[in-house]
Amino acid sequence: MKHASYMGQRVLRLEDAKLLTGRALFIDDVELPGMLEVAFLRSDDAHGILRRIDVTAARSRPGVVAVYTAADLGDYWRPGPLLVPPPPVPGLIFNAATQVPLVRDKIRHCGEALAMVVAESRYLAEDALEHVVVEVDPLPAVAGLEAALLPGAPLVHDQFGSNLAAQVRQQKGDYAAVRGSAARVIARRFHYDRGASAAIENRGVVAAWDGRAGELTVWDTTQAPIPIRNGLAAMLGLGESQVRVIAPFIGGGFGPKIMMFYPEEVLVPWAARQLGRPVKWIEDRRENFYATTQERSQIHDAELAVAADGRILGVKDVFLHDTGAYDPYGLTVPINSQCTLLGPYLVPHYDSEFKAVFTNRPIVTPVRGAGRQHGVFVMERLLDLAARELGIDRVEIRRRNYIPADAFPYDHEILFQDFRPLVYDSGNYPAALEKAVELIGYADFVEQEQPRLRAEGRHVGIGVVSYIEGTGIGPYEGARVTVEPSGLVRVATGVGTQGQGHFTTFAQLVAEQLGVDVSQVQVSTGDTRDFNWGTGTFASRGAVVAGSACHAAALKVRAKILALAAGLLGCAKAEVELFDGRASVRGAPDRGLTLGELARKANPLRGAVTPGTEPGLEATAYFGPDRGNAASGVHAIRVEVDPETAEVKISRYVVVHDCGRVINPMVVEAQVQGGVAHGIGNAFYEQLSFDDNGQLMNASFMDYLLPTALDVPTVELAHIETPSPLNPLGVKGVGEAGAIPTGAAFAQAVEDALHGTGVEITEIPLSPSRLHALIAQARGGTS
Amino acid sequence: MIVEGVHLFPGPREVVWNLLLDPDVLAKTMPGSAKITRNGPDRYEGTMAMGIGPISAATFDVSIVITDQLVPERYTMQIDGRGGFGFTRGLATISLADEGVSTRMHYQADLQVGGKIAAVGQRLLDSVSKLLLRQGLEAMTRELERRLAGGAA
Repeated sequence: MKHASYMGQRVLRLEDAKLLTGRALFIDDVELPGMLEVAFLRSDDAHGILRRIDVTAARSRPGVVAVYTAADLGDYWRPGPLLVPPPPVPGLIFNAATQVPLVRDKIRHCGEALAMVVAESRYLAEDALEHVVVEVDPLPAVAGLEAALLPGAPLVHDQFGSNLAAQVRQQKGDYAAVRGSAARVIARRFHYDRGASAAIENRGVVAAWDGRAGELTVWDTTQAPIPIRNGLAAMLGLGESQVRVIAPFIGGGFGPKIMMFYPEEVLVPWAARQLGRPVKWIEDRRENFYATTQERSQIHDAELAVAADGRILGVKDVFLHDTGAYDPYGLTVPINSQCTLLGPYLVPHYDSEFKAVFTNRPIVTPVRGAGRQHGVFVMERLLDLAARELGIDRVEIRRRNYIPADAFPYDHEILFQDFRPLVYDSGNYPAALEKAVELIGYADFVEQEQPRLRAEGRHVGIGVVSYIEGTGIGPYEGARVTVEPSGLVRVATGVGTQGQGHFTTFAQLVAEQLGVDVSQVQVSTGDTRDFNWGTGTFASRGAVVAGSACHAAALKVRAKILALAAGLLGCAKAEVELFDGRASVRGAPDRGLTLGELARKANPLRGAVTPGTEPGLEATAYFGPDRGNAASGVHAIRVEVDPETAEVKISRYVVVHDCGRVINPMVVEAQVQGGVAHGIGNAFYEQLSFDDNGQLMNASFMDYLLPTALDVPTVELAHIETPSPLNPLGVKGVGEAGAIPTGAAFAQAVEDALHGTGVEITEIPLSPSRLHALIAQARGGTS
Repeated sequence: MIVEGVHLFPGPREVVWNLLLDPDVLAKTMPGSAKITRNGPDRYEGTMAMGIGPISAATFDVSIVITDQLVPERYTMQIDGRGGFGFTRGLATISLADEGVSTRMHYQADLQVGGKIAAVGQRLLDSVSKLLLRQGLEAMTRELERRLAGGAA
């Protein structure tokens, strides 16, 4: 069979057979002879001085092999690296404070690790935890963002003299000047609160030291196996080639699994070397609520200056960002908020300033959306309010403000998280809007259905919002493509995989160039023995950056195949065509060789080759984009609200998205569907509740609510394709698209459904009880 | 967590005062077969156990320091309880007033709760603490009645 192009095809996922039949290796499947297990003693206090820690009794417990505190680590104890340095914004303030492996003197958040018990089993290790004696002098906690900056507030890090972690102002134009000429200035305060990433699989680390080989093997649920390898080698004084890091199949990453280095990642390999036995730590769900990073608390004071016709004149936004107890991930999240607020709109004047604040809460690093949610929420809510005040339809006000389809590349004149100017590469926002409006039947709903249902006393609403997702940032990724003598094609790349379908999409890209069936392409990701250059899976960049590297490597191998086959077949290279796993002469399909035969011939055992010949049909290639690209889309949602119970039913959810050229529509649709599920959780269910003492009050799935299958509608999806000029495939990222504008869409629709009650929604997450309180408040009652 | 209320003890103030500060009575009236000893005039130490929601038997090492005593009118307890399931700490103020032949006790406590009990027991903290308090006060009342009826003074 001559294969059709694989680009854009609904190829069934190649990894699913393994996953569905239980043959995929997850971290907890790693079982090694003589393996020990670890439990961590974690702080119950959110803030305090660690006066004394006595592990004598714990060490003498049955089955306990070792108990370590900060003092036992010696020189190995050091704060983690600053992962992301701040971008070069003039006047920027940044105070770096990174996490420590075990608390030595000061406890800065609940759940921070105090001691590590290594025992013959987890059971015995956990039992020993209760025998560690800890004396803590509690300190008042820094819990609220505003309170944190008041004079006299307790300090998370004494050396800075305040809880200010960073302050960044970015401006374009002259907002103050344009404000005076506005027909309306809409000003509000917006809150966005914390949630957990809540991946189905928690984190885990297994390490084994092979003294004879002088090699450390580490299995780690990381999104960044190569930087983990390099960092561990440096910390442990080993050569990089002495450390092999394997990121196996992972049950969801969503961002927190790219944080480096978690204390457990530093300690478990160290202990394995100390003890000469394999050591395993698997995070339990309660630990995950403290020890895995979180996201999203921000408070925005924002205003939008608009002309009478609804055109945006400018936006001013001043916001506080909760970075938690440490800020190892730099400013990625708040910079994303700052940049993403501008969205697909023409905003001639922009003045945005944020302060990142240290609090006695778990560390904040990107979680699917990575700050983009907040920006979108603020901007979309301001547009909704402006539309209402000016008497303009909500869809129309967006239409009037879009960057036109012919205005690309479009420069927003501020810096993005990749330190490059925020310049959108391509897009067609009006087209996406019109498609979404048509799919959800906006006009019909607003003109006919809603008035009819309202007359029946029902509270139905619709929401339509836009978003930009900056994706596919650098610096680079790589891939190696090898044709084996069996005819199998092996692809190795450094990015880890957490369920995105990499085994299929990368295989499609390579099969496309080599003319083989996609099932003949085997992809290896996240094993540093197979590939050891690259940065990781984040910022919706797998397909863009690693995909482009796979494509480039496949092109190189293709060129090698064509050259070798032309020589052997006695024809010109241009006459060779590749299909069905063979290279043959165009027009004479019988004159050909299989790729396996060519691979063997490319690796002769005797004889001579032309000097300079590289053996095999193999090539490595790298790809780094000039800057991130701008994926985009529109979400439209219909809801019905019961104002008595504050129950919200989502009746339809439409997403029209543009991630450039689509490699596999099914993979894209699944990403969007999963993202919307995440977004609905964020909008209406998931909220980490801390008390004033920094105690997390709902650290279990009994009290922390996740949306279930009953709460998440099937997304109706349409694709728009404006290819990105920034990579050879024309692709953009889509990993976070579903989760980004969901809160904004939900808020608009619920507010619309409650039209006439006076309810105005300026916060996410909502919950039935919070919404109930808002309704009661608007009715003039007490909540 | 703020716990506040009044309780009427059917007996004279001096008897009630002694009852409240008797470590044996405290041990009997605190949950989970507590052991309390008096280590000095104003200091009590011991252990207690309690269950909250999914946590079936949380054991705490408890220390109580009595301050601001005005016999037999009021005192403040500085409470510090720690265990494998977390901690509770804070201040409780007790004041006593005559009400006919009875004694009216007003109590107010501002307690911080942390660790596992805060994290997974939060929903039940209020109701469990109210229940434990009611049981403790009932037990104390019974003890008072026993003493007044001619038991140990």
